[in-house]
Amino acid sequence: MEAKIFDRETMLDLVVNFIPLGIILFFIALFVVVTPWGFNVRTSGVMLGLMIVPFVALAILTYLSAKAIAGDEKTKPVYAQGQAGLEEAEPEHHGDDDHTPDETTDASDAAADGNDGEEVDNDEGNDSDGGDADSETTDKQDSDDTADDAGEPAA
Amino acid sequence: MELNAQIAVTVLMGVFLVAVATFLTRIENWRSYTPVGGGGSFIEESGYIDEEKPAGIIRWLTTVDHKDIGILYGLYGIIAFAVGGLMVTLMRFDLVTSSSLLGTSTYNALLTSHGITMLFLFGTPIIAAFANYLVPLIIGADDMAFPRINAIAFWLLPPAALLIWAGFFAKPLGLFGPAQTAWTMYTPLSLGAVGPSADAVGGAGVDLMLLGLHLSGVAATMGAINFIATIFTHRGEEVSWANLDIFSWTILTQSGLILFAFPLLGSALLMLLADRNFGTAFFLTDGGNILWQHLFWFFGHPEVYILVLPMMGIVSYVLPRFAGRKLFGFKFVVYSTLAIGVLSFGVWAHHMFATGIDPRVRASFMAVSMAIAIPSAVKTFNWITTLWNGRVRLTTPMLFCIGFISNFIIGGVTGVFLASIPIDLVLHDTYYVVGHFHYVVMGAIAFAGFAGIYYWFPLVTNRMYQASLGKAHFWLTMVGSNITFLAMILLGYGGMPRRYATYLPQFATLHQVATLGAFLLLIGQIIWLYNMVSSWFEGKRVESGDPWDLRQDNVRTVEWQWFEQKLDTQIATDGGDEEVATDGGKPADEAEAVAEERDDD
Repeated sequence: MEAKIFDRETMLDLVVNFIPLGIILFFIALFVVVTPWGFNVRTSGVMLGLMIVPFVALAILTYLSAKAIAGDEKTKPVYAQGQAGLEEAEPEHHGDDDHTPDETTDASDAAADGNDGEEVDNDEGNDSDGGDADSETTDKQDSDDTADDAGEPAA
Repeated sequence: MELNAQIAVTVLMGVFLVAVATFLTRIENWRSYTPVGGGGSFIEESGYIDEEKPAGIIRWLTTVDHKDIGILYGLYGIIAFAVGGLMVTLMRFDLVTSSSLLGTSTYNALLTSHGITMLFLFGTPIIAAFANYLVPLIIGADDMAFPRINAIAFWLLPPAALLIWAGFFAKPLGLFGPAQTAWTMYTPLSLGAVGPSADAVGGAGVDLMLLGLHLSGVAATMGAINFIATIFTHRGEEVSWANLDIFSWTILTQSGLILFAFPLLGSALLMLLADRNFGTAFFLTDGGNILWQHLFWFFGHPEVYILVLPMMGIVSYVLPRFAGRKLFGFKFVVYSTLAIGVLSFGVWAHHMFATGIDPRVRASFMAVSMAIAIPSAVKTFNWITTLWNGRVRLTTPMLFCIGFISNFIIGGVTGVFLASIPIDLVLHDTYYVVGHFHYVVMGAIAFAGFAGIYYWFPLVTNRMYQASLGKAHFWLTMVGSNITFLAMILLGYGGMPRRYATYLPQFATLHQVATLGAFLLLIGQIIWLYNMVSSWFEGKRVESGDPWDLRQDNVRTVEWQWFEQKLDTQIATDGGDEEVATDGGKPADEAEAVAEERDDD
């Protein structure tokens, strides 16, 4: 199950937290090797502790949150943010059980390109509008103005 | 023998408490309350509340409905914003000349109260306003987990504000003056008569301010516990962790930060109160001053993220609606929010680089401060990438979101420089720092707040604000912020120290420029207030359940579904003289045409 949760896609999502972890690790290593103010068990211990504690805490929270998020992602339907419970919302996927191997590959490929499976769907949806895209954009823009201007004073 | 008696009393007390708890659970089902009148909420069978809310002021004094409490928080936050804003307007006019027009003690009092008001009485409550109103709606909860605690948490805030501002009320009566300690309340200055300041900084005004701060901290902690319990236990069936929206994630993280940070502030405040009044010596002994700074900033730095994270959540939630596409890298934003939450507790002493603490300790705080810049930067790239190739609609909330990003980049980058020890030692305690954090607190946090207020204004009021006034508000605020805070950064490069009511003549021009910017900000906020008040009462009614046309891009969210249901099930308008608004399903342009016809009549 662990291996299933922490697959390539999840690990790519977690890169965002690996970078600060890496930076802290770099400084821990640097301050162990380079000690311009000497080494003193108490003060240097505090120095290292102040980096090790956030490092460990972040690592633990990253693990737990990834387990919760990616775990739910694999087993339950996934909606776009704020759309769970929305009548017209279609789940972006229903968990791994409903995935065909091709879909999974597409999603992870997209993630590797710095994109999400979510965005891929959306972009595809936009592309499928085809040649009408321009005129539709104009229309939408008009109605947007209407929406925003709907509050113009009646006077 | 004595010990046995103590044990016996303890056991007796325990039995008594259990008996009281049992009695209470028998007479009242504490968890049974379900709000009424919120269309879409699921009314459970409890037989406890099945009436409409009482009318008039009694409704607002007794309400435990999360939406009502959200509105109360919002009104409270806006009043505090006005008070804090007027305070700083006075300060900026005082700084037009190099000598103090108001007098240094008045300036110091305004400086102290401006900071505390904006952070504790505006910032935290305005976030609680959004969270109270929206989180239960978005996650599919009936209400907050503990509705009564929710109400108590809010009602602690008005007395907190009165205590914090007490000196301003008491001074005209000849009693005592307001605190002049600055919001950091550094010892030995804040120790008063027991310290070297001999209470030149406010006397009883400081004591009351400390009590008020403590009270606001208790309120924030109660609210935080409530949000954590709500998000963990009251989510709807479809709302798994993978489906939790970004705003709720940021509120959850913020609540975690409050839970660890505010009790520590409370302890430090009580120690300071005890030092001032009861003869203790927590901060009077060797190292006491550094101890205060450590305790204060262990709270103080997470406080920055307590304020900024939910506002980032609002931007992450609202911005994609007007970019016509989903948030780029949603999970990046979630994980980086959590990362910021943890790392924010590991950077506090970067506020203390100039205190002479051991260089090895300083170095570790620098390292973590550098690391925490990454998650913030990641979010910024996500917002920009969401805009990329999106169908951007420059509505007022969207303008404020984009303004947020722009200002946050300047505020953030100036902050990264301050994280570097050598640069900090040069710029510490100068206006550069003031400019940096105002870019974040005003340029980013307040901007996101405005974005949220405009975006959800129709949801709360059933009416639309006036768009042209909204845009005037944005541009005045954007230009005003950048003039004021850029001038402050330049003042800091010139060496102008912060917190002073007077200055050397060479700083006059930049101070005057900053005051000009503050004046623009004042005009902008007056326009905003007028817009909000007049639109609330007289704005055009929203007749569509999708006032932002979110359906066309498939970016509508669940709170607007609730709003649509509310419109559909609404049986009377508050004015009583208008038509019943039941056409939530009508297309926006058709509704607009109907509304125009009515106006022509």
